[in-house]
Amino acid sequence: MNALSAPAAPPRQRDGLRHRPRLAVDAVVVAGVLAVVAVGLSTDRFVTVANAKAIITSASLVGIAALGLTLIMIGGSAVSLAISQSVAAIGMIFLSAQSLGLIPALVIAVVVGALITGLQGAVVGYAAANPVVLTIAASFAIAGLATGISGGVSVAPSGLGYDHLNATPGGVALSVYVLLVLALSLEWVLRRTAFGRSLYMVGENRVAARAAGMPVGRTTTVAWLAAGALFAVTAVFTAAFNTSANVNLGGTLTFDAIAAVLAGGTPISGGRGSALRTLAGALLVSAVSDILLLRGYSTGVQVMVKGLIVLAVVVLVHLRTRESHA
Amino acid sequence: MQQRLTSSSPRTSEPLVRVDGLAKSYGSTRAVRAASFSIAAGEIHALCGHNGAGKSTVVKMLSGQETPDEGAIHLGGEALDLRTRQVAQRHGVALVDQELSVVPSLTVAENLVLGDGRTPWVNRRASPRSRALLDSVGLEHVGLDQPLGSLGIGERQLIEVARALGQDARLVILDEPTATLSDVESEYVYASVRKVAAAGCAVLFVSHRLGEVLTLCDRVTVMRDGQVVATSTSGELTIDSLIEQMLGEAPHHPQKVTAAEVDRDVVLSVEGLTVPGRVQDFALSLQAGRVYAVAGQLGSGASDVLRAIAGLVPEATASVTVDGARVAVGRPIAAVRAGIAFVSNDRKSEGLFLDKPVSWNLLATRLPDVTRLGVVSRRRWTARLSALVELCGLDRGRVGQSVGALSGGNQQKVFVGRCLGRDDVRVLLLDEPTRGVDVGGRAAIHTLLRDAAGAGLAVLFSSTELEELLDLADVVVTMHKGVVVQRHEGEPASAVLLREMTHGAGDSAAHGAVVAAGGDR
Amino acid sequence: MMLARVTRPDVLLPLTAVGLTAIAFAMVPVYTDTTLTTFDVYNTLQIFARLGLVALALGITMIAGEFDLSVVGTYALGGMLTVQAGQESWAHGVLAAVGAGAAIGLVQGCVIAGLRLPSMPVTLATYIALLGLTSALSGGLTKTYSNPEVTLWVDQVVLTYFSPRSLVTLGLFVLAAVILAGTRWGRELRAIGGDRRASRVAGVRVNRLLVGTFVVSGALSALGGSLLSFSLGSANPDPGVQPLILAAAAALLGGVSLAGGRGSPLGLLGGILAVALLAEIATVAAFPGYVAQLFYAGLLGVIVIVDAPDLHHTVTRLRARLRPPGGGGTRPLSQETP
Repeated sequence: MNALSAPAAPPRQRDGLRHRPRLAVDAVVVAGVLAVVAVGLSTDRFVTVANAKAIITSASLVGIAALGLTLIMIGGSAVSLAISQSVAAIGMIFLSAQSLGLIPALVIAVVVGALITGLQGAVVGYAAANPVVLTIAASFAIAGLATGISGGVSVAPSGLGYDHLNATPGGVALSVYVLLVLALSLEWVLRRTAFGRSLYMVGENRVAARAAGMPVGRTTTVAWLAAGALFAVTAVFTAAFNTSANVNLGGTLTFDAIAAVLAGGTPISGGRGSALRTLAGALLVSAVSDILLLRGYSTGVQVMVKGLIVLAVVVLVHLRTRESHA
Repeated sequence: MQQRLTSSSPRTSEPLVRVDGLAKSYGSTRAVRAASFSIAAGEIHALCGHNGAGKSTVVKMLSGQETPDEGAIHLGGEALDLRTRQVAQRHGVALVDQELSVVPSLTVAENLVLGDGRTPWVNRRASPRSRALLDSVGLEHVGLDQPLGSLGIGERQLIEVARALGQDARLVILDEPTATLSDVESEYVYASVRKVAAAGCAVLFVSHRLGEVLTLCDRVTVMRDGQVVATSTSGELTIDSLIEQMLGEAPHHPQKVTAAEVDRDVVLSVEGLTVPGRVQDFALSLQAGRVYAVAGQLGSGASDVLRAIAGLVPEATASVTVDGARVAVGRPIAAVRAGIAFVSNDRKSEGLFLDKPVSWNLLATRLPDVTRLGVVSRRRWTARLSALVELCGLDRGRVGQSVGALSGGNQQKVFVGRCLGRDDVRVLLLDEPTRGVDVGGRAAIHTLLRDAAGAGLAVLFSSTELEELLDLADVVVTMHKGVVVQRHEGEPASAVLLREMTHGAGDSAAHGAVVAAGGDR
Repeated sequence: MMLARVTRPDVLLPLTAVGLTAIAFAMVPVYTDTTLTTFDVYNTLQIFARLGLVALALGITMIAGEFDLSVVGTYALGGMLTVQAGQESWAHGVLAAVGAGAAIGLVQGCVIAGLRLPSMPVTLATYIALLGLTSALSGGLTKTYSNPEVTLWVDQVVLTYFSPRSLVTLGLFVLAAVILAGTRWGRELRAIGGDRRASRVAGVRVNRLLVGTFVVSGALSALGGSLLSFSLGSANPDPGVQPLILAAAAALLGGVSLAGGRGSPLGLLGGILAVALLAEIATVAAFPGYVAQLFYAGLLGVIVIVDAPDLHHTVTRLRARLRPPGGGGTRPLSQETP
């Protein structure tokens, strides 16, 4: 194959050499997936259309936020620890803006969401601030402001337009369609646009990108703006589903989203990863939780297994990439 | 060739260090195949070879950072299994690593005892000894409680040397200890190395500076392609014969094609460039089509001049114009937009995206050219890429490979190539363009730079290597301690350049500055 | 020299944080109607005891250049194990908790050091897994500890201001400070945080030290969970992320750098005391909870922005622009231009 004609492929080794440890890692991954499939097939009611819908629906809300986080992680900013708080605040704004109608409320939510997170991104991008500390600070600020403004009570919707978001066209939740469309578009953006390529390069080596005169600050800010918009999409669906919103609306979303991205095999160090991987990660976590639920395990066990899956994927991905560098 | 032992230990029959048939492979690459040599007590033994010859791997195996696949290491007649740095240290192997290995967040005193595992307790009485160590490498002015981060690179390197020499080791390995040092600083290292050798220590000295190899070392082992080619006493060698052993062929001196001295357009003009404490009032105008060099040892400010023009030194002030238009100093993005491309001396951390394919790296700075409305156009991407690959003389089959998998020379070609073949680049700045590049790659890079000048760019590079300065530059500006010493057009004598770079204007007053100084005398 | 030492960020930050919050605390009667009692000091130290060990555990991993998110998971698990294993004897409970914490730290340390993995994703995964495990152990319910003597004992007032719980916590801080200042582990911990490759080349047993750090971190946070369970007389399977965030804030206020290589246990003590004082001020003055949150946001925001490298570049660049021509602030170079 002439590599010159293949500009679109994501960055990875293409030398065709497959070393033994790498094969071993691949074998472990295949065995793991087969094990999940086998356990799934042997589980009652797992292989049903209804259950498949349940899995993908439960993956959809975390999945959309995780797509946003994927952008942040590829861009080399590690993580945002303010996802839950952003989602809660946007959810509250969305519901209280219902009186303006669904579409204006959606626009307001997405714009405000993009701005809240994009502002943090600008500080990270232009000043090279530490994203972990910055987003911890942002989580305090957002939660504090949200509590202060709302008076600490739940926000009830001021109109009924939000209920359209709970629609289930074709028997599948609307959020699932949105997740799939967003994942595919994001994948296209990452692979085919100048922004996507800049993001991978800024994420891998920020110093080099800066010295080469690439727009580091702008690229990072745009990534975070888009991430904020995606968090806002999660927020509107979550708020619509709960029909009320308070500062705890985000729940454990921050860590669920990080878990989904990591389970998809995107390394935290930046410069690698893809939207489809994150989608796969979200589905994997969701499917395993579903199997455990069907087999009667408690929530605690489901959460524990989720943690162990993330741990296993992190270790395996690391072993595999390290091998390709040796 | 093994007959002669050094004068300081003529009686020893068994050498202190004996390396027997060491071999090490990484994956399918055989980094070292069969390396054997020996070092007597009191001997300073050089290990030479071009990049990729296997020197570093031998050093890693001797210092406990890698385990050999085959072969044995004998120290004092005893075969050792050096599994880790700590084991090697316990057996008396001290190391000055190729990369600077001191910790900026610790104090000088803490760095001097870092890794000393003899006692868990902090020894408050260790300071006289540390003081003496510092003084022995010429760092009388440095305080023990000073944070290391406040020191310059050369001083940090000397502290690492002091740490290794203070370990009472049997074998001291110095892997390119003087690469970042000025000549004065290097002299301190030579003196200290001679002192530990005289005390009966074996010294393995790895260096690219062949001059110091021949004057400092007793014997020289040359490696090529993972194998030991020869071990000779340094008296039998000349620089040319050493290069011949390293290359396997006689060195050739390429003929420089000096650009004709005609009046051309001034592309870049720099005036009043000052970096507090490092560069004072530097001025230079570059004409299109010519190659300029700033020559200076580390710390002379040569590198700072280039970095400042490239916008990477925020504290710099200067008046810089490109084609008559003013450029804001201190922001890399402003410099790039004005047409100034910069090739850093640290291509791994400040240049390339090692994980990404060659194609991405070549096109990283011209994404707008290969996209339409922000979307990558396959046609433009491929066309641009082919042209660049052709221009840089890269192997077309490797464009899909990650840059990290390439050799140093090819990596540098990609780095330089990224700045070439585009109309918006007017000035090409290169900081040590051939650092860590083998001889073949060097010639290729030099050709690339010549061609770039031929295509109408102004090229400015910094270098400490005379050969490179003489081969490549039409105009050489020597710098010493932050100020310009002299500007040379044409073919200056290498001795003059060297003197100016090492001593500044003071000593060369009789030669170059005679007009200025003559009136007063 | 003295001045130079005080202006180092790992000294300056905790001093400023404790100083400001202590002044604010002492001034409480001025801006509210309440008066301060010795009980308010006692209470501050109780808050300190609740968060102190988690902050110390997180802080020492941060000095080593790692970030142990799992401390809160271990904290929760330690509390739960203490209640479940310690109904008969408090010592069994503490042993079970500390043993489990150390074992978790050992596993994590081996994975991180052995495979040279970044710690954030690993400890995040462990955190999730531990929360699950704790919840599975308790069936997702809060478990009560039916040994009221122990509860009364750990929180009794000692020496007017202290309780056994706060004294134990304080003692561990002092112990950590003495060990890190008096042995090579202190400098080696900062060394591996500052430059791991260089430390390895210099002969520091990086892997062993890292594993040790994670073991200590696990044991400390589990012990923190134990003490909390004794004090509350119950164990909650999910403490939320608040303790983690507060511990991180305390460590940063204590002069520990997120990049690693900087910080000390005494600095951490200063940081966590500042956080405790703030919480107590909010309680005494009856501020709404969100005011404290906004305050933390402001503090962390300042820290992170002051630390941001590219902002430094901009400030330096602007300052260079403003410098009088001719280089008023420049060090004279040794030679004049010919």
